[in-house]
Parts: sequence; structure tokens; C-alpha cells
Amino acid sequence: MNSNILIAGVCTPLFGAFLLVLLGKINQKLRNACSLAFVGVSLCCAVAALVSLLNGNVLAAGPWEFPLGLTFGFRADALAVFMALTACVVSMIIIIYSYGYIKEYPNQNEYYMMVTLFIGAMTGLVYSTNLIMIYIFWEISSLCCWRLIGFYREEMMIRRADKAFVVTVLGALVMLIGFMGVYGEYGTFDLNVLSGRSIPSWCVWCILCGILSKSATFPLHSWLPDAGVAPSPVTSLLHAAVLVKIGVFAYVRLFVKCFEVDEIFTTAVPVIAAVSALVSAGAALKANDIKRVVAYSTISQLAFILLGLSCGNEVGTVGGLLYILAHSVAKGGLFLCCGIVEHAVHTKDMSKISGMIKTMPKTAVAFILCALSVMGIPPFSGFFAKYLVIEAIVQTGQLWIAAVFIVGAVMTVMYLVRLFVKVFLGKPSFPKAKEGSPVMVASVLLLGVLALVLGFVIAAPTQLAMEVI
Amino acid sequence: MNMLNLTVHAMLALPLVVLAANNLLAKQTARKIALYVCAAVAFFQIASSVTLFVMYTRYGITHYDFNIFDPGQVSADYFSVNRLDLFLMVCIGIVVFVSVMLALETIKDHKRSYVNLLMCLLLGMNGMVMATDLFSLYVFLEIVGITSFVMIAMFRSKVGLEGSFKYLVVSSLGIVLLLSGLALIFMQTGTLDFKAIGESLLDTQDSSRRALTYSAVVLMISGFAVKAGAVPFHSWLPDAHQSADTAVSVLLSGIVIKIAGIYGLIVVLDLFGSLEAVRIIYQVIGLVSTITGAVLAARQHHFKRIAAYSSVSQMGYIILALSSGTTLGVVGAAAHIFSHAIFKSTLFSNAAAIHEEVGVLDVTKLGGLEKKMPITAFSSVIAFLSTAGVPPFCGFWSKLLIVIALWKSGDTVWAGAALAASIFTAVYFLRLQRKVFFGKLADGMQDVREAKNSIGFIEAALTAVTVGAGLLFPFALQYLQTAGII
Repeated sequence: MNSNILIAGVCTPLFGAFLLVLLGKINQKLRNACSLAFVGVSLCCAVAALVSLLNGNVLAAGPWEFPLGLTFGFRADALAVFMALTACVVSMIIIIYSYGYIKEYPNQNEYYMMVTLFIGAMTGLVYSTNLIMIYIFWEISSLCCWRLIGFYREEMMIRRADKAFVVTVLGALVMLIGFMGVYGEYGTFDLNVLSGRSIPSWCVWCILCGILSKSATFPLHSWLPDAGVAPSPVTSLLHAAVLVKIGVFAYVRLFVKCFEVDEIFTTAVPVIAAVSALVSAGAALKANDIKRVVAYSTISQLAFILLGLSCGNEVGTVGGLLYILAHSVAKGGLFLCCGIVEHAVHTKDMSKISGMIKTMPKTAVAFILCALSVMGIPPFSGFFAKYLVIEAIVQTGQLWIAAVFIVGAVMTVMYLVRLFVKVFLGKPSFPKAKEGSPVMVASVLLLGVLALVLGFVIAAPTQLAMEVI
Repeated sequence: MNMLNLTVHAMLALPLVVLAANNLLAKQTARKIALYVCAAVAFFQIASSVTLFVMYTRYGITHYDFNIFDPGQVSADYFSVNRLDLFLMVCIGIVVFVSVMLALETIKDHKRSYVNLLMCLLLGMNGMVMATDLFSLYVFLEIVGITSFVMIAMFRSKVGLEGSFKYLVVSSLGIVLLLSGLALIFMQTGTLDFKAIGESLLDTQDSSRRALTYSAVVLMISGFAVKAGAVPFHSWLPDAHQSADTAVSVLLSGIVIKIAGIYGLIVVLDLFGSLEAVRIIYQVIGLVSTITGAVLAARQHHFKRIAAYSSVSQMGYIILALSSGTTLGVVGAAAHIFSHAIFKSTLFSNAAAIHEEVGVLDVTKLGGLEKKMPITAFSSVIAFLSTAGVPPFCGFWSKLLIVIALWKSGDTVWAGAALAASIFTAVYFLRLQRKVFFGKLADGMQDVREAKNSIGFIEAALTAVTVGAGLLFPFALQYLQTAGII
């Protein structure tokens, strides 16, 4: 019975996604509702796993033994539950937002199918106990990303979708080479067996390639800003809230929870993260496309997450995980706000937009709430996460890296304030622009409030994150 | 044992019977039913090969020897069928079936010739995999080769004749190389029987004899590499594939290069696998073909040329798999032969669909066909992902098996390179998708409709196989383990 919960949580969205295409031909409302319901099933399963976990009972399905070290299985440990809950909650809000945003475009069947399929892949990935399973779900998510970036079917967008696909798939292939290295050493892909083993450094580098490409970290980051041509809910779901977290999740799953890796990586990875944080924050300050600013900001914030996770101490891991949660909520919200603005004025060039606070006050409020959380202002959830991450790197004694990240944090404040001032303040450039539809505004407000409320109840997720260690 | 005996005989005899019947029947009747009969023959081959495979495993049979020329004579076994042969015959059956399904729509004239040639080809390929000596192998190879030349040129178009001629010339070179190799072996051993040549040639310390053996092996590998379209002998392949009717190109790309080329290489590996040189040659040819084929595919404008170069690249993977020299490597190669047969057949069915409905196959003139041809578009995406080794489709698993086999035999660098080379596959197929399906509808394509009857059916069926085999592949591995193969 217990094992069925996890299987249901993964398979419902994964296979249900294909059902949506058929449902869409019958009734669009039904399709939309089912899409939400399938993700809801996933969420319920994650909650069930959480309850079981709190009772000291880790849910698991399998293992199913196959030859060649392919022992498959699902396991809902604290890390998996944490990620699944974060992903499902944010995804559900984004799907609700899509009801308003997507309704006037063609290819909706494909849209809902790909979004649901992606969430299925995401939940599958977090519960996986086998390197090959991780790779399989990883690639399914790339596939969804490819179709969704090309949603509007313009030549330029398809090229960018192709770029995102090529970069992430190349990273994943290199990662697979790393997995093969591990396999060559121990003869299995099963993480339960591999737990606590030390792996060669070249394997770590290979796997890092995959992680950096998926989590859009310098130098494999350039696909993410380009992917902003996708519809805003897609950018929000894939390129801010959930998909880009796959990379950092894999970092925790493999290098914190499973393998013993060389000391050098507690310095090397923070350095990569530091470069990534600075470069992208600088780019965010220069960019003029509102979605590009937020995308560069995502790259910069992902560097903070990676920093926390790679410090090699407990504070860092907890901080990194909280950051994943806080950033998913807040950055997801920011992208959705940008989506509402873009939807209303049909441009993403911030030099042409101003004074939107007059015409869309509710969106502006949501934007402020989310932006404050991303900046790390207390008492928003983002503050606690950012504080813990910086604290962790200070604890390791690498003060200059901490200094770089503090500069990065200041730049975050600068570019978000710049964005807000340019877009929302000043003389209204589109006085006739209308506020987004009620579901859209409600979902961004929900995310904004969630970013704030999470700050007050930060103890609960912290406790769960502590369980991970 | 009677059923087994009957079935293996039937696989050689049925094509001949159909061939005779096709020419004896009145022309009108033959035109009407011959293609359906061919489909039935193909279906029989698939069903009976699968049944025999299961039977072999259950009763622990490794191979079954038989002969048709001297019945009752104990020592003269001209044919032998083992499980690898049966698996390859399943692939042959599938591709022949696909070809017939396409021919139902694409071939309007020369139906009778097509059926005649198809049955010869089937006979040739079945004979090749069942043969037990190099000379029989060569004879059946020639049947396959000559049939292919005629099939390409059958419609008497200028490009068809040109492609066929090019194939003929390059292929003759390959045959000369192969025959010279056989001559060198025969000179030393006096026999070409598989069982007799292996040890007797390799045991010797005599350096001149060893040199002769090495030359023979190199010549044979070159000969088969020509037939497989491996780099540097690949130049005939795109021309031949492009100029033939799609029902014929699917045969060439889907199965002929694999039986005529790759199976030959499997035989060479079987006989001379203990020579390090064989493995090194396979590694080099394999990797170079993989990369060259993919890079060249990214520069083509013709749908079928892209698919053809893609075949060159995929043959590279199969040869790399063989280079591991282990059973797992051969299993990986066989699995990839199967995946390739499926996804390449899908792609050629897509080509047939586009050719029938739109009339052009130049990708620069096509665009955004996904709305007009949803089944074709969907099946091509799945086939492309399978080709690029993206999970969870069939192609991913076979590629993974290949990489695992290479890794286990210690060829880690080759395995890594093979994996990284997959990205080229992704690149050329993304380009194909962008130009043909994924995007805005091109001018003048408003009236395009979905592929008709049998083409649409076969596209959907092949896609189901790619997805199904991908999802069930771990179970197939489990079966192979219980069968004692891996």
C-alpha cells in the first residue's frame, strides 16, 4: 500500500499528461481541471510521504531488480519530500495562472500535456534511487522544456528552444559519462548501494557539467535568458521555480547525501558559483528586457543556492534547501508578474513601460512582495535563506567568497529596484492597459503572500531541511 | 522438433513460393493481392521468429542446424539458426512489413517487379543470417546486393539509375575486397566453414601465415564496411537512399545495410575476435562513422539524405558496440539494430507521408507541418528522440547497453566519445524538426492533409513499438538474463 502512494504520485502526472490531449479534444475546461488535479494527486502523495516521514517511516517503492546494476526504486526521504512539496505547490499555482494566460493561444493541448508531463518527471526525479532513473527523468524534463519554449512557433523562438535543448542535453550526456565512471568503479547505478562511497574527481567534474547546465550556472547559463521567449507561466515554472532546481537538487542528492567527494570541491564549486553570481547580476543590471532581468536574476540566485549546498557544512545545506523553497515561490511570482505586464502591454522592453502601478496596483503589490523576498529583506523567507548561506561560507573561513556574495546580494537589490522603478513608477506609458484576469492576479498575490508568510513560519521547513542531513 | 524444422525451412521456402506464385498468377490478380501476401509473409516471419526465440530459451536450445540440399546426410549442415539469427530475422520481418505498407501507397507501377525483388531480398537476407560458411554468406550477400541495385533503379528515373550505378560500382569494389579475403583464407585452410577456419588460422606462429590472415581479415572487414555504409566507404549510401522510392529506401536503410554489412562484421568478430586488430579497426571505423555521419547529416537539405547520413552515424554505434568483443556488446549491437530498424523505418515512413501529401522532400521548402500532419509530426519527434538516445525510448536503452558494454571491456574513452557524439544526432534532428514540423506553416501548405491509410497506420504502429519497447526494455533485459544471454 505504502509503495503505491509514491508510484501514484509519479505516474499520475506522467501518464495522465497524455490523457490531457484526448480530454482537450472533448472539453477544454475538463482538460484544465484534470491537469491541476493530476498535479494535486502528486501533492497529496508528497503530503502523505511527509506525514509518514514525520512518524519516522520513510516511504519507499521497489526496489525492482534488473540486470546490469539497474535496480530501480522510489524513496521519499526528507530531501525528496521537501523538493516534491515545493515543486507541486508552486506548479499548482502556476497552472491556475495559466488558465488566464494561455487561453487565447493555439496548441493548448500540448501546453497542458507538457507542463503536466514535466511535473511528473520532476516528482519522479526527486524520488528516484537510481542514477539511470535520474537521467531518464532529467531528459524528459529537457524535452518538455524544448516544446514549451517553442510554444509560439516563431522561428527565433524555436532556435532558442533548440539551444536550450542542446545545452542541457549536452550537459546531461557529460553527466552520464560521469555516471558511467561511477558504474565502472562499483558496478551499479543504485544509489542505496553507492551511498557513502568515494568517487573519482573526474566523475564529479562530469556530473557537475550536467548540474551546471541544468541549473544555468556560468559558464553554461546562456540558454536561460534566451528561454525567456516562452510564455510567462512556462518561464516561471521551468526557468525559475522548478526545472532549474533539478541541477541543485542533484547536487544535494549526489554529493551531499550520497558520494564522498574530494575536499577541493568545497572551494571549487563556491568559486564557480561566485563568478556566476557576479556575472549574471551585472548582466541583470544592464538588460532592458524585463524577462531577461528576472532570468539573469535567477542565474544569480541559483549561484547562492549552489554556494550554500557546496559549502560542505550543515548550515549551508539547510540554507541552500530553504533558498530553493524561497526562491521557487518568489521568483516564480516575479516571472508571473512580468507575464501580466507583458500580456497587457505586449512588449518586454522596460524603457517603453512605465507607471504600471496606476493601472495594475495588485500586480505591483505582488511584485513588491516577491522582489523583497528575492532581495533577502527580513522578515521575508528569502532573508533567512540568504542569511544562512552567507553564514555557511563564513563558517568555512573563505571570507572573500562571502564578500563576493554580499556584493551579489547588493546588486540583487539594485537591479530589482531598477526594474520596479522603471516598470511600475513614473508617468503611465500605457494608461489603457488593464490589470490581468482575476485568476492571474490571484495567483501572483498568493505567491507574494506565501513568500511573506513562509518567513514567519520558516521554522517548519527548516526542521524538514534539518532532517535531510 | 518438427515444428522447428518446418518453420526454419519455411523461412527460406516461402519467399520462393510467393515469387513463383506472383509470376504464375494472372497479372490483374497478382497486382491486387501480391502486396498483401508479402505482408503476410513478413508477418509470418516476425511471429515465427519470436516463437522460436522463446522456444529456444525455454528448452535450452542454442542453435539448430539443418540443410535442404542433401537431406538426411548428417555431416552436411548448410544452415544454422541461433537466437541472434532469430532476433535479426524479427528485424528483417518488421522492416519488410513496413516497406510493404509504404508500397501500398507509394508504388503505383511495377508492383509485380517490386514483389519479385522484395521476395528475393528477403530470401537473401534470411539466407545470410542462416549461412554456416563464408562462401554461402557471400552468395546470399550477392543476392541481396543485386536485388538492391535493381530495386533502386526499378522506376527508371535518372536519379534512380545514377544512385543505383554508384551503389553498384562501390559495392563491386567491396565484393572484390571480400572475395580476395575469402581467397586468402581458403588458400590456407582449404575450407570456408565457420567451424573450421577460426582456430586453424589463429593457432599458427608462422609470421607469413599470420600476415596472410591479417590481410584476409582487413579485406573482409573492408568489404562488409562498404556494405554497411561505414565511413570511409559511405559515399554511395545517401545517393542510393535518396534516389530510390521510399518503400525501397526504407529497406536499404532499415535492414539491408545491417544484414549485408553489420551481420558480416559480426561473423568476422565471431571468427577472428581474438585478434586485437579487429577490435581496434572496429573502434576506429565505428567512432569515425558515428561522428562523420552526424556532422554530414546536419548539412543536408533532403529529408531522405538526412535520414541516410543518420544511418551512417548509427551504423557507427553498432560497429563500436561490436568492438567491445563481448557478448554484452553483441547484445547491445543487436538491440541497436532493432531500435534503428524501428526509428529509421518511422523516419522513412514520415518521408513517404510528406512525399505523398506535399510532393517535396527539400526541408528548406517545408515548414510547420505539425498542425496539418499530427501523426507524422508526433511519430517523427519520437523517432528523433529515440535516434538521439533520449530516454525513455528504445534508442536510449540500446545506446546505454552499448556504452555499458564498452565500459565493461575497458574502452572507457571510446564509450565516453560515443556518448558525447550523441549531441550531434540531437543537433541535426533538431534542425530537421525546426525546418519541417516545429514552427509556422510554410507558404502553399494550407491544403496539406495527414498521410493516408497504410502510411499513417505504420507510423502510429512503429511509434507505439518505440515507446513500448522503451518502457519495457528493463523487462527485456531481465528476460535476457534469465535466458542466460547476458
